Amino acid sequence: MRANYRVHSGTRFQLLSNDQLQEMLDGVLHVLEYTGLEVYHEEARAILKEAGAWVDGLLVRIPASIVKDALQKAPRSFTIFARDGNPANDIHIGPGRAHFGPGPTPPNFTDIDTLERRPYVRNDAAIVAKVCDALPNIDFVESLGTISDVHPDLAASYEFATMFPNTSKPIVAWSFDKDDAEDIHRIAVAAAGGQEAFERRPSYVHYCEPLSPLVSTEEALNKLLFAARHRVPVIFTPCPLAGGTAPITPAGIIIQAAAESWMGLVIAQHVRPGTPFFMGGVLSIMDMKDMILAYGAPELSLMMAGITELAHFAGLPLWQTGGCTDSKTLDEQAAIEGSLSVFFSALTAGDLCHDVGYTESGLTGSIFQTVMMNEAIGYSRRITRGIEVNEDTLAVEVINHVGPNGHYLREEHTRRHYKKEFWYPKLMDRRNFEEWEVMGSSRMRDRVIAYTHDILASHQPAPIKPETEQVIEQVLVAAEERVRNNS
Amino acid sequence: MSSVLERLSTAVIAGDAENSVKLVHRALDKGMDPKDILDNGLVPGMDEVGIRFRRGDMFVPEVLMSADTMSAGLDILRPLLAAAGTQLIGTVVLGTVKGDLHDIGKNLVGMMAEGAGFEVIDIGFNVPPERFIDAIKEHQPNIIGMSAMLTTTMRAMGHTIRAIEEAGLRDKVKIIVGGAPVDAEFATRITADGYGSNAPSAVELCKSLASAS
Repeated sequence: MRANYRVHSGTRFQLLSNDQLQEMLDGVLHVLEYTGLEVYHEEARAILKEAGAWVDGLLVRIPASIVKDALQKAPRSFTIFARDGNPANDIHIGPGRAHFGPGPTPPNFTDIDTLERRPYVRNDAAIVAKVCDALPNIDFVESLGTISDVHPDLAASYEFATMFPNTSKPIVAWSFDKDDAEDIHRIAVAAAGGQEAFERRPSYVHYCEPLSPLVSTEEALNKLLFAARHRVPVIFTPCPLAGGTAPITPAGIIIQAAAESWMGLVIAQHVRPGTPFFMGGVLSIMDMKDMILAYGAPELSLMMAGITELAHFAGLPLWQTGGCTDSKTLDEQAAIEGSLSVFFSALTAGDLCHDVGYTESGLTGSIFQTVMMNEAIGYSRRITRGIEVNEDTLAVEVINHVGPNGHYLREEHTRRHYKKEFWYPKLMDRRNFEEWEVMGSSRMRDRVIAYTHDILASHQPAPIKPETEQVIEQVLVAAEERVRNNS
Repeated sequence: MSSVLERLSTAVIAGDAENSVKLVHRALDKGMDPKDILDNGLVPGMDEVGIRFRRGDMFVPEVLMSADTMSAGLDILRPLLAAAGTQLIGTVVLGTVKGDLHDIGKNLVGMMAEGAGFEVIDIGFNVPPERFIDAIKEHQPNIIGMSAMLTTTMRAMGHTIRAIEEAGLRDKVKIIVGGAPVDAEFATRITADGYGSNAPSAVELCKSLASAS
């Protein structure tokens, strides 16, 4: 009987046993039921009360049965669609599938010409979107920065408006609050051809961030409610620091983060059952010497693997983290921390792995880091694709045919498999010394920078419709008007 | 002199609050001057902690234990120093600005500033400008420290400084700012008196501003 023979061909690992995961899940339910969270949003508290939660002032405690009900309603598998209908750029969320992309909101950016750190500006959003659009191993797009050269309240609106025409890959959008969330949604709905068309084929994901420990902020919930009501797939991801704003133990920080994320889950699933929901968050350590949130720490990868397994155990996709570094520049540290976290994240099959391109502990976005990690992701994906075992791949017949002292270069078997069995790097150098020297003795960082400039000079993202262009114009004009009236 | 004061410094470095309280009492019993106990017992211990932390030989939890030890000793000395009319290093009012609920960074600065001998008044998070103004009137601090974690809320720092100016209190206090998106250039732009890139540098800044004022 060969039924299901190929199911386990991929390379994965399991960090926690099912008994351990059950203990953790019980821990999360316990925190939600007995400790509760502060919810700084009157309407959300009313929704939670209606759903069956206990509300005392700001404090909301949720009985376990209500949380389990919300877990039941949230989908494990769904699709986020490319805005131009190109199926190659669709993202299918589901077991065993890891996707990668940059992260949101660093204040600084590594200038692609001067290579210096400077404030992030609007044109950087176009650069990031265009380069990500071209990179084969980057699946979704985020901006890698907060735009500093527009009105501060409109940074997110300009960010989405600038990225959208420059990539057809799904964007993970970020906003300050609900006004800019609406700006973003208007653009996506215009491209989709209406709200209902968008609901059938959602083309972006919205990112919301509650606060640790155990606080749901007004802005995070404004965004979550907007997303749920418009059926925008939503991420609800805290950013707890082990030893600072969360327990220092991996199991403890995972439980706290899950409780913080599931507060959003319960609200979203009550408002609109079936809302695609990504559990967060970003789990790392507060470095006890340098007092930073370490983005290159092995504990980040370990904790993220743990929370990924908990999410999957509970039936939710997870917002993973990797490809990031504490290094200030494109150097060996950046390569080591980025590559190892990308590989570990790939092994967990965490569903959307973000922050590919974070440097300086999340304070500087670098598209060079993203481009370098595109290679590390390709490398990792070859490994997680695993070893396929069947009659053809066992090649016993081919071995018999070639026999002692022969070679395999002319074999039909070789010709049929060489493209998919091997991963061909784009930037890793495998030439012999003489050829490498003749080609200028380039280092990896030189090749990363040159490739980035090549993409920007040659890549053409799929165009948006003229009507969508008009809507983007209108949205930005209206947004400017809004901030003028508010001030 | 393997004196009481040396042992007090050692207790601060070791973060041994129980022992430091005993040693402060013993020093007072011996008739030592409270100012002498502070300046030559507690403070040298905390100075050494600062040096070891910057060198990477101590971790944050250890520094906070030392700071708590320093505070425990200072709590005994404070009324005596006040009675003698001795000025302490100064008072710092700390808060996370309006719209921002993040307070781990501000809390760290507060704990470390207490350890350096400051009177610290923590007025919490999501603090509107009026509450900073009320705190200046009530506590007459040497220094106001403002924290923000978000690019949107960091603007509230500038608004708060303007409100303090309009209340006619700007020349009464030094104002320092910090938080992940904040940098020295921003601090200058909003006319703050200083910027601390992390908690220890914020406390160093408080020390230099307090001694200059």
